[in-house]
Amino acid sequence: MRRPLISVLVLGLVLWTLPGCRRKKEEASVAGGKTPLVFKYQPLGDPVAFRELLADFERKNPDVVLSTEALPNSSDVAHQFFLTSLEGGADDFDVLVVDVVWVPEFAKAGWIADISKAFPPEVLRRDFLSGPVEAVVVDGKTYAVPWYVDVGVLFYRKDLVPRAPRTYAELEQFAREAKAKDPRLQGYVWQGRQYEGLNCNVFEAIWGHGGRVLDEKGRLELDTEQARAGLDYLRGLIASGVSPPGVTSAAEEEARRVFQSGQAVFMRNWPYAWEEAQKPDSPIRGKVGITPLPTVSGEPGWGTLGGWQLAVNAHVSPKRKDAAERLIAHLTSPEANVRMALSYGRNPPRPSVYKDPRLVERVPFIASLLGMVENARPRPVTPYYNLLSDVLQSEFSAAIAGIRPPETALKQAQRQVDHLTGQFE
Amino acid sequence: MNGTVKAPGSMGRERRQAYMLVAPAVLVLVGVAVYPILAAIWLSLHRLILVFGERRWVGLENYGFMLGDARFWNALGNTGYFTLVAVTVELLLALPLALLLNTAFPGRGILRASVLVPWAIPTVVSAKLWAWLFNPDYGLINRLLPGPDINWLGVPGYALHAAILVDVWKTTPFMALLLLAGLQGISEDIYKAARVDGASRWRSFVSMTLPLLKPAILLALLFRTLDAFRVFDAIFVLTEGGPANTTETLSIYAYKTLMRAGNFGYGSTLSVMTFLCVVGLSLVYIRLLGKEGR
Repeated sequence: MRRPLISVLVLGLVLWTLPGCRRKKEEASVAGGKTPLVFKYQPLGDPVAFRELLADFERKNPDVVLSTEALPNSSDVAHQFFLTSLEGGADDFDVLVVDVVWVPEFAKAGWIADISKAFPPEVLRRDFLSGPVEAVVVDGKTYAVPWYVDVGVLFYRKDLVPRAPRTYAELEQFAREAKAKDPRLQGYVWQGRQYEGLNCNVFEAIWGHGGRVLDEKGRLELDTEQARAGLDYLRGLIASGVSPPGVTSAAEEEARRVFQSGQAVFMRNWPYAWEEAQKPDSPIRGKVGITPLPTVSGEPGWGTLGGWQLAVNAHVSPKRKDAAERLIAHLTSPEANVRMALSYGRNPPRPSVYKDPRLVERVPFIASLLGMVENARPRPVTPYYNLLSDVLQSEFSAAIAGIRPPETALKQAQRQVDHLTGQFE
Repeated sequence: MNGTVKAPGSMGRERRQAYMLVAPAVLVLVGVAVYPILAAIWLSLHRLILVFGERRWVGLENYGFMLGDARFWNALGNTGYFTLVAVTVELLLALPLALLLNTAFPGRGILRASVLVPWAIPTVVSAKLWAWLFNPDYGLINRLLPGPDINWLGVPGYALHAAILVDVWKTTPFMALLLLAGLQGISEDIYKAARVDGASRWRSFVSMTLPLLKPAILLALLFRTLDAFRVFDAIFVLTEGGPANTTETLSIYAYKTLMRAGNFGYGSTLSVMTFLCVVGLSLVYIRLLGKEGR
């Protein structure tokens, strides 16, 4: 009779001593006068240089005990982690990395703290690129500080085309001419698989046709002439053979491999593809140029803004928030920007850093990106981006794959988006 | 149980003891299975969108919306088609494989172990591997097949069948092994008797092997149908539900709604619906199995 009771007690004891339940106690013992600070981030590669950067912070802030915790590299999985932990009120980490499209969502949900006092919006506007600032300042308040940025750009083969194309017509013409000389070549590869990258490609095409995706009131506006032209253009690339049919299942890596093997004339991708292209055994080493995306009018195109920001968990105490803000200031300083660029090839969010002599000398490629990152545009800045993104992906995919005409796809997307946002407001 | 008759007092004590003995198992089951299901049903009756900070009782409104949601019906259709085709093909391939593995030949042990390799590889790994095989530009499959290159994962129609192929490749060995276990339960003597009576091999397969194997087949179908209906990882790695949701299954739709969009209310509705479908399917199978038992 008494046995089951004992086993229940034993089970309870075992559960109690599991690491998860004990966490609070450990934290308290570390605290002893010092402030514990936990930084949740995605590992960047060889950790040595980053450890040094963090060690600098600890030297300057002896009152803080800093520890780091790794997040999964996949953006989706990291989002899922924050969704479940922050909604559950987790306070076991202080500083977190946030993707550029999450800031309004996390801010509205009350998961990340308003840090306007430490980082006033006007200071950010003065010191940082306009795209990332637009993404981190929500309703006039700062919720995150840009850490490093990314932007969609056009890669081209200097040996196959006369010069970088400036308009869509030039891009198609150059691709055709190169294909006429070598029929095995593919023209223009990009990302058409149903995923977030497709949205980036489509927004760029819409912007390049003079459209805006958000209207003045912050409402998503898809059923427009420019949006139709943008989507028609992407579908037309496939239909006319300028882009191979395979782009409808390609993400970044699939496109990069085709380009890397020397089989494509043009590629839309993120700057990371540059380093691979310049490796000693790369068949396209020294033959690749990088340029802003083309547009209809010929002015330099707007690439989608990517990249990561640093924010403070809204559930932590004021004392820890203060330490967290100091860490963010340290990691987003001009000096840290330079070191992140030199050691990890991450593009600085401060325009002034692109002129730093160390950057110009040792990573001239990053220095050359300044014009493109200045033109980087955030995806629609709305708390509902993740809800809407899903609808957009499937309708854009239907248009690209030729299941529905772009016009119908955009109408359907607009209807679903209106339905979703109508529910909210 | 219904053998010897015990004194009433000891009967009661024995019964109490029996309850006590199963209590821990029941508790664990309630904790890990029943509670989450009830929680999901409870959530599905709310409007709960995290970014909104909104949590409001809406009764059956989510279910009403679901009935008019074209994406839900599309996902249900994809899931049903995937399950039906994949499981049928798996059964048709697994049965001959099981018969082959049941015959005596040198190296049988090694072969039995090696057919399990696809099953032993984690799904995400094998799906990634297949994604490269399917790649339209440098994938092995287009190299081996004659004719123009096919964009396996990018064209509606092809993509779902590509996913079915991956599932068949992966789980046919498992099905074969379940059937093999059934085959080994059939006594060798009845085959001897049949041979003495002059029955052909085909005749003995149809009239003896198949009927005797029926419980094993039903069990294998039960396992595989339930598994296939909840398919997530393989398709998610291959296409994430694209192009244009033509490979989106119920689990993928529910995952995207729950975890990407943070729409916990409607996402739970979709999960509960998936759960109800699976319960319905298993009831059908269990009834069929029950008939066999009698």
